[in-house]
Amino acid sequence: MAPRSQMKRKASTAAAEAEAATFSDDEFGDGVLEGVLSDDSEDEENSDDEAEDVDGQDDEDLDSDEVPSDPDVDEKDDDENDGPRYRVEKDANGGERYVYDEIDPVYDSDDSDAQDPENTIGNIPLKFYDQYPHIGYNIDGKKIMRPASGKALDALLDTIEIPKGWTGLTDPATGKPLNLSREELELLRKVQMQEIPEEEYDPYPEYVPWFTHEEETMPISAAPEPKRRFLPSKHEQQRIMKIVRAIREGRIQPYKPPEEREQDEDEEEEMYDLWANEEAQPPHVMHIPAPKVAPPGFDLSYNPPPEYLPSKDEKKEWEETDPEEREKPYLPQGYDALRKVPAYDTFVKETFERCLDLYLAPRVRRTRLNIDPNSLLPKLPRADELRPFPTVGAVEYNHGTRVRSVAVDPTGQWVASGGDDGAVKFWELRSGKQMASIRISADEPVNVVRWRPGSAILTAAAGQDVYFIISPLLDQEVQQANRAALDTGFGYATNGKQATLTSNGARKDPPGTWARPGARLEDQGVLLKITVRADVKVINWHRRGDFFCTVSPTGKHSAVAIHTLSKHLTQIPFRKLPGLAQTAQFHPSRPLLFVALQRTIRVYDLQKQELVKAIQPGARWISSFDIHAASGDHLIVGSYDRRLLWHDLELSARPFKTMRFHPNAIRQVKYSRSFPLFADASDDGTIQLFHGRVHNDLMTDPTLVPLKQLKGHKVINNLGVMDIDWHPTNPWLVSAGADGMCRLWA
Amino acid sequence: MASSTGAGEGQQIRVNFTTTLPDLQLPEDKSQLLVPGDIKRYGLSRVVNSDAMLNTDSPIPLDFLINGTFLRTSLEDYLKENGLSFENTVTLQYVRSLVPPIYQASFEHDDWVADVDVLSSTSRAGLWAGNSLPQGQDRILSASYDGLLRIWNMSGQVIATSASTSSKSFPSTDYVPAIKSAKFLDATRVASAGMDQTVRVWKYKEGSDKLSGDLKPTLELLGHKGGIESMDVHTPSSRILTASNTGEIGLWTTSASAAPDAPESALLQANPAKKRKVSVSSGVQKGALSMMQIHSGPASAVVFHPEDSTAAYSAGQDHTIRTIDLTTSKVVHSLTTAHPLLSLCSVQGISTPLLAAGTSARHITLVDPRVSATTTSVMTLRGHRNFVTSVSASPMDNYSLVSGSHDGTCRIWDLRSVRTGSKAEGGGSVSEAVYIIERESQKGQKKKSDIPGQGCKVFGVAWDKQWGIVSGGEDKQVQINKGSDLLAK
Repeated sequence: MAPRSQMKRKASTAAAEAEAATFSDDEFGDGVLEGVLSDDSEDEENSDDEAEDVDGQDDEDLDSDEVPSDPDVDEKDDDENDGPRYRVEKDANGGERYVYDEIDPVYDSDDSDAQDPENTIGNIPLKFYDQYPHIGYNIDGKKIMRPASGKALDALLDTIEIPKGWTGLTDPATGKPLNLSREELELLRKVQMQEIPEEEYDPYPEYVPWFTHEEETMPISAAPEPKRRFLPSKHEQQRIMKIVRAIREGRIQPYKPPEEREQDEDEEEEMYDLWANEEAQPPHVMHIPAPKVAPPGFDLSYNPPPEYLPSKDEKKEWEETDPEEREKPYLPQGYDALRKVPAYDTFVKETFERCLDLYLAPRVRRTRLNIDPNSLLPKLPRADELRPFPTVGAVEYNHGTRVRSVAVDPTGQWVASGGDDGAVKFWELRSGKQMASIRISADEPVNVVRWRPGSAILTAAAGQDVYFIISPLLDQEVQQANRAALDTGFGYATNGKQATLTSNGARKDPPGTWARPGARLEDQGVLLKITVRADVKVINWHRRGDFFCTVSPTGKHSAVAIHTLSKHLTQIPFRKLPGLAQTAQFHPSRPLLFVALQRTIRVYDLQKQELVKAIQPGARWISSFDIHAASGDHLIVGSYDRRLLWHDLELSARPFKTMRFHPNAIRQVKYSRSFPLFADASDDGTIQLFHGRVHNDLMTDPTLVPLKQLKGHKVINNLGVMDIDWHPTNPWLVSAGADGMCRLWA
Repeated sequence: MASSTGAGEGQQIRVNFTTTLPDLQLPEDKSQLLVPGDIKRYGLSRVVNSDAMLNTDSPIPLDFLINGTFLRTSLEDYLKENGLSFENTVTLQYVRSLVPPIYQASFEHDDWVADVDVLSSTSRAGLWAGNSLPQGQDRILSASYDGLLRIWNMSGQVIATSASTSSKSFPSTDYVPAIKSAKFLDATRVASAGMDQTVRVWKYKEGSDKLSGDLKPTLELLGHKGGIESMDVHTPSSRILTASNTGEIGLWTTSASAAPDAPESALLQANPAKKRKVSVSSGVQKGALSMMQIHSGPASAVVFHPEDSTAAYSAGQDHTIRTIDLTTSKVVHSLTTAHPLLSLCSVQGISTPLLAAGTSARHITLVDPRVSATTTSVMTLRGHRNFVTSVSASPMDNYSLVSGSHDGTCRIWDLRSVRTGSKAEGGGSVSEAVYIIERESQKGQKKKSDIPGQGCKVFGVAWDKQWGIVSGGEDKQVQINKGSDLLAK
């Protein structure tokens, strides 16, 4: 018993542990010291009753199964010791007999049954009342009703049939009784019990001791324990010593009297007025006083005059504007009584912002760089001083379908346009009257129309064919002359000779076939046709009107062709070009041919048959270029990557100026022949006009001034203005649009 | 009227009525008057027309000029606006009130109308015809882009249509040379010129019922090498002037006997071997009295000197107005303007005769054609929004003209109202239109294009005292508007 109690004590509370430790050494002498120990324990029990009680209870809880009820017996003994409640007497047989004292029922003990309803029927069998609902009468003469028997309750409950999952509630959604399945009920129960409602959730999973104090045979980290784990930290020591020193010197007082601290806190909570002592400073350049809040006006009144109240529109406008852009941060509101005024909802926000403004806004005068931004711009003459130039649309020519090309005749009276419908249409320039329409191709669009210089012959390209059209608008004499000009070449019979033999002896197709286009077209004035090997996209005439070059970007070896009208001769000057030819043009005064490839423009001397120059505009895909007619030394290049480039051929192979004015590709660029103007046509439906004056002395740079953007063409399928042409004598421009319209800008 | 009133009952203003109208003069003692300050034009007009003042049979509507501008507000407001004293006497000049040019009628054509001319007892041709013009034979001559001339009577009926004269060089083309100019020579003769480079003189004969007639070509004048844009006639001297696209000015005579023979080349061209389809006998073919290369660009208009038939003015797209002595065929004087010129007419002018030239820069330049003139441009009439292709002087007075433009309007100008041009306008004297006549055919139609006047360009306009303002254009109509009493006298 003694050792067991000792063991119990070991597992008991900390208070007992300390005492147990005092005699833990005595465990060695087991049997000898038994009596001593038991004595000790008894002493302890006497001395520390409270502790022992706790111990005893704990013991019972822990060891109720193992331990026999010895303590109970002990307790009983204890009770008997208090005083004997029986006497031992000898009975008749001489055996011991326990005679207990008579129990003295105290008067006010609680074993009274007086409160029960007493049946006063007397000594009458209850079966007499079998046919009555009551079983007798109480002391007041009232019926005592028969209590419901278990059988009757069961019968009643059996009559009520409860459907499965019955809850007695009504589904508010359907109005029908709300039935819940077992799972749902279980879920509800879990929610009510504040358990995690998820099924199969184990709130008490097995603990996996990943990191233990025990040494593992296969530890997660095999790194040896660092040495510092076993050494006292010097840093901590330093810090501790610092505190210790401070305490010694009295700088830190570990035990401050609490009252003083409270006093300090009271003092700290006092508010300061930052500007209480502020004095009016003498005005100084660098001193900027904090702005004062404007005094409230009439509109801030709780019931302002009606003229201050905003109308419905003003209210809507105020609500729609951004809070930063509102003229007033509040909306005047009227209430007929002060008690109806609600709390000011933005009070905190407004006060906070005001504080921020006062506190954070730097009130410093900034010194700005005093540079007029206009002075950084290059000095250009004003556009008004550079008149005349086209400013507004004057005439519209409705071609019907997308117009791919437009050209003004050399006399400036007629306009020819070629469109997707395969028709070439002639218009009177000033009135916009369609004078004639010749359908040269049934299925191919007319890609380009160009007038032969100095005459009324129009060349139009549709597909692989180039047609020569004598304008029907002119008089017979001129028409006869034009007819003669077209027909002279038939005498040369170059068509047969041109078909050269290749090295292996096979007959090669001639690069161009010159023929009559057929009676139908001849009746309309189309007198000659050249068929080349690929679709012709560009026609450009030499200034004398005898040669012209055509460019077919898809024709590989025969992309560029030079045609001689007087001999009906087609030549292909380049066997191979280093890239896709885009456009080509003759130099206005010298025997040079400019051929634009995708990225470069190559200049060839036609007499010496050699490459003179290669110009690198830096554009990714050149769409068009034009040569300044008067000087011959300047070049504008338009590119599909939205750039317009001005080249000075004498200066460099690189552009003199790069201009970006369009969001979309540039299709065509053209110099005016009679004015210092040039223009470009873009896919964004606009035409940008420039003033471009070339000076005679070589030292002065050309003056380039953007003048005006001509808007009016509609953008259809991402195509805007397809082609432009200048009037030969007036500052007028004709443009062809993808919307089926041509326009004269004047 | 002149009763004394309390201070609270509006201001009384002392006015002095004056006028330049001789038939509406007020007696000297009645011209001074006290009128209430809130009186407006109508009230003033009633005051002046009242029994005590003019005592007219029927009230004459009057307008009141105060310091040179028309009074449009109440008198009080005007004085307040201009900061004038209420104490002084205000001088009010009264003139006859004006009526806008009311739309009268439209005559439908098959194609665009290029030019119009009128014949009436007050028109130029009517005056030349003199007594040979039958009473009530008021006619309109219209030249159309379908190559036909039409003569209309007052009620809008076509009395005569010319035969088609076009000869095609290529049978399949749909091209018809337009007639660009047509003029009455007198009551029985008509001249026309157009893109077929030929001037034709037609004999016009009317049936006895005055509802039908016929046009017969009597003379065909050949010699131009380009289309003829403009033509002017002078019947007393039997002369015709033409301006061609090549810049040439041709002088022709209407008498077949006096005209020289046509040049060989022109004859050959007019009669090609076999392709010519002669639809009507074209009359005698003759040549020009003289063919003058005047302009370096296309000549767009030519007019005779209003007094002297041996002098002429021509305007061209080379920006010049040239004075030509027709007897010597020499250019006497040349004026250069800033813009291509598209139309020309001579205006009598207030002090000196002027030339009004419509430009492609959307305005009309008035120039003094005299050699001694110091300034080229006397005045600029601004307001048109597109090419000004036609100008015509008023037959009633010497200070107003009408212009037709590609913007689809005719505008009436009063040369007396002048302001100083702003810097953007290039300074000088500028005037603005008094009335704008829109095309009646475009009323209520949606605007098709952002270009002004697309679909209703005006190509020709004529102003006659009886007919009013006659204009023809792209809407295939000849429109007639009332043309009298438009401007203050």
